[in-house]
Amino acid sequence: MDELVEIGRKAVNHAQGLGLDEAEIFLYKENQTTVKFAGGIFASRGGAVKGLKRRFARIAEPWIKKKGLPVVTSGVRAGVGVRAVEKKAIGFTSVSSIEEKNVLEVVEQAAKIAKIRPPDPNWVSLPEAKKPLGAGGIFDERVQELDAEKMLGLCADCCAAVGDFDKRITQAAAMISASSVYLAVVNTNGLESYDRGTTFTVSVDAKAKSGNEDVGGYDILSTRSFTNDLNPLAVSVAKRTVECLGRRALSEKHVGKVVFENTSWNALFSVIFPHGISALNVQENRSIYKGNVGNQVSGENVSIVDDGTLPDGFGTAKIDDEGTPRQRTPIVENGVLANIIYDNYAAKREQRESTGNASRLGRTSPPYANQPAIKPSNLVLLPGKGDLDELLSQVKNGVLVKGSPIGALHSNVITGDFSVTADTAFKIEDGRIAHPLKACTVAGNLYGALKSIVAIGGDSKAIGNVVCPSLIVDGIVAST
Amino acid sequence: MNLQIEDLMDKAVKHALAVGAFFAEVKGEDTKTRSIEVVNNEVHTVSEARNIGLGVRVFYGKSNGFAFSSALDETSISKTVETAMKIARAATKKTLIKLKPAAVKTIQEKKLTNVSKHPGEVPLDEKKDLCLRQCKAAMETSKSIANASSMYGEYAGTIYHANSEGTKVSYEPLLVGLRIACVAKKGKTIVDARDAYCGSKGLTMFEEEEHTPERLGGNAAKWAVEKLDAKPATAGKFDALVDPHLAGTLAHESFGHLSEADFVAIGSSPLTGKIGQTLGTDIVTIIDEGLPEKGGYTVHFDDEGVPCSRVEILKRGVLNHYLQSRETAHALKMEPTGNARSQDYSFEPIVRMRNTYFGGGDWKPEEALKELKRGIYAIDTAGGQVQDTGTFLFKAVRGYWVENGELKYPLRDVALTGNILELLKNVEVVCSDLEISSSVFGGCGKMGQRALVGTGGPHIKIKDVLFGGAS
Repeated sequence: MDELVEIGRKAVNHAQGLGLDEAEIFLYKENQTTVKFAGGIFASRGGAVKGLKRRFARIAEPWIKKKGLPVVTSGVRAGVGVRAVEKKAIGFTSVSSIEEKNVLEVVEQAAKIAKIRPPDPNWVSLPEAKKPLGAGGIFDERVQELDAEKMLGLCADCCAAVGDFDKRITQAAAMISASSVYLAVVNTNGLESYDRGTTFTVSVDAKAKSGNEDVGGYDILSTRSFTNDLNPLAVSVAKRTVECLGRRALSEKHVGKVVFENTSWNALFSVIFPHGISALNVQENRSIYKGNVGNQVSGENVSIVDDGTLPDGFGTAKIDDEGTPRQRTPIVENGVLANIIYDNYAAKREQRESTGNASRLGRTSPPYANQPAIKPSNLVLLPGKGDLDELLSQVKNGVLVKGSPIGALHSNVITGDFSVTADTAFKIEDGRIAHPLKACTVAGNLYGALKSIVAIGGDSKAIGNVVCPSLIVDGIVAST
Repeated sequence: MNLQIEDLMDKAVKHALAVGAFFAEVKGEDTKTRSIEVVNNEVHTVSEARNIGLGVRVFYGKSNGFAFSSALDETSISKTVETAMKIARAATKKTLIKLKPAAVKTIQEKKLTNVSKHPGEVPLDEKKDLCLRQCKAAMETSKSIANASSMYGEYAGTIYHANSEGTKVSYEPLLVGLRIACVAKKGKTIVDARDAYCGSKGLTMFEEEEHTPERLGGNAAKWAVEKLDAKPATAGKFDALVDPHLAGTLAHESFGHLSEADFVAIGSSPLTGKIGQTLGTDIVTIIDEGLPEKGGYTVHFDDEGVPCSRVEILKRGVLNHYLQSRETAHALKMEPTGNARSQDYSFEPIVRMRNTYFGGGDWKPEEALKELKRGIYAIDTAGGQVQDTGTFLFKAVRGYWVENGELKYPLRDVALTGNILELLKNVEVVCSDLEISSSVFGGCGKMGQRALVGTGGPHIKIKDVLFGGAS
């Protein structure tokens, strides 16, 4: 930590020496180990490959336990991102290194860009130091100390537990990722803040076969601290997989109530809604919520918060990625759009305060390589009451979508239109599951759906930094 | 600097053998990504990211281990090799099948990239102007354009590979592009459309009439305005004509991924054991290669140092090849194809595509449209996904409802879904207008890694495609 701040100070001093108006150094270091384990390819259960069958047959009875195909990667990802400002023109550079020589070089490069590019008339200034800092520092030493051998053991045990649950399961694979992050922000306004945190993520998927039918199932656990007991996750995946056997088509296109399991709603909500509530998108005419703060945007039963202080939240930290304290911001209160979320840039453009929502998370690039963008800290759709069964009991005729449907990432974030395929979906008749469905397309509009939520469950689940319960939406189109 | 990278790579390989590996390989990287974003005619961001580091993979016993470092000093590299070895020793105890790279010829080769107006030699100002011109063209097209976001992107540098067998290769990847996204508004209706052009070429590519910033900006704006009056597509099964971009997504997402031999080796691909079988109509050929002539992304070597060969995955409807890494080739007793790629030095190589496309046929696109009696002309794509059951879903971002060969009205975003093995049997017409495109802004995601790829094809007509509409 001290090491990062020390380099940050040197870089800021170097920037001041270059005569820049402002400069900000974001420093990041992550120790990361990921174990992928394709385990339990269970030859005797008809799941294996023809070409490999003979090879498996020797050791596969009754089935291969605790061995498989492991892929383990480990390393230290470290780097800096620099914002240099000269007469309202911002240059951004980054390098995958925290060596002084490389850091000072990118500071100079950022300065060079800032000096030749045209100014951004909306730029005001970099963030100032603010107090108090948010509740951060969720750091579990056990995550930091995990080694590949222990993680491999957990993966193998988990796959074996999936296979033990039901004889129709033919394959199971698990992935565990453990990460410890240290970050610091230092800028020319005297801001100097840092934080550290750990995350522990486990995802498991399985395949099952019965007759000619092949089905798959998946579940994920994402937390800030280590857990030894992956059995509940293994059982959940096994259940989710075999319950899809016996799939039938819908007799006709369904237009009406669809029950989204927490995971399924999360997949759509986490992709689309953050775009709508970003102040920058609102300012730049890219959001459906422009001019809608204070207006009814959903049913009165819906309340949503952005909560950077949520205990165990993935996005919980002392500071956001430009050093502003994380905070709790109500977004939708009983159906009314109360606030949208801001980083320093968008906030100062409207002469207001940042809501601590600057994020440098990229889909595939490390945080230091990205400029701050507006993203939720922890986005929480507040729960109602009851579990999934209780929601089902309220639906006479409908469709239940479970798991993460394919295509959610390709939703139209501007219009809110989504059209996904659910491989794990079920027909609901008279308040109960009638049968699993063949691959089912589910289409609608997320912003519209928020106005048509009939009931909200109490079974909230966190996936990454988005927390949702299961819920029922009316007016959704489903087809097989 | 570069001498230093290659020096450290040699040392890493030697150290790996010294600490017990029977095979070791190292990827070295020094690349830069530059981007410029102009929103509503104002320059928003100008950025540059340098990515340097080494990734080491060691083979020991039945398994392997991978570790990476962005710190390029001897101590850090030795530590990285030792971490990889520690992993390999732990992994070998849990490994079912021996992982070993298949034999390949040892090579020493440097491929340089010579293009006219290489972006590395062009000042920032000129790139910024391309971006501004594109944005301006979009904004000027119509008063309904509420937002125009214009991007310039560039990826260039050097990728190195060395292994303990003596292979030493390097090449200079290059991908440059412009992208424009427009939002159009009318009353409460809000829609979007986009256009883009990318390639492994110099900046002269934006002087070609079809790809000037003005043309790209104008297209996106025109299409966004057209979508204001678009109707949602009806859900159900229809015949479809798909354009080259969408055909490319189909080739890549729904078929290409299934032909990746890592999925085949563990039996999770539906193409497992199907070499020699007829999977599609005899007009369907699907190719994957590193050096396509008709555009796309040029990649000379994969990240196991194997030259990227041309693979006819599906040849006139018959499954001919899988895409292989050295490990999958060893496991399946087949030949490596140069398909082992990693996002950057910090990821292990996995089986990936390069440029995947449908081979051309002999119809003209206008003739194919004429043949479409009642159905959907689906254009361009925002991407797609496939599951290992063969179920795919992808989005066309534009489309038209067609009756008797005539475009009747524009459609909003429409999703196509189905099972690829059924779809390939329903391909009725393949046109001659083969195009391959790539994107420096996106890429393909697999197992948490992004890869730059090209996709393409000609116009293709397919019967009975399931569209997931909202009406």
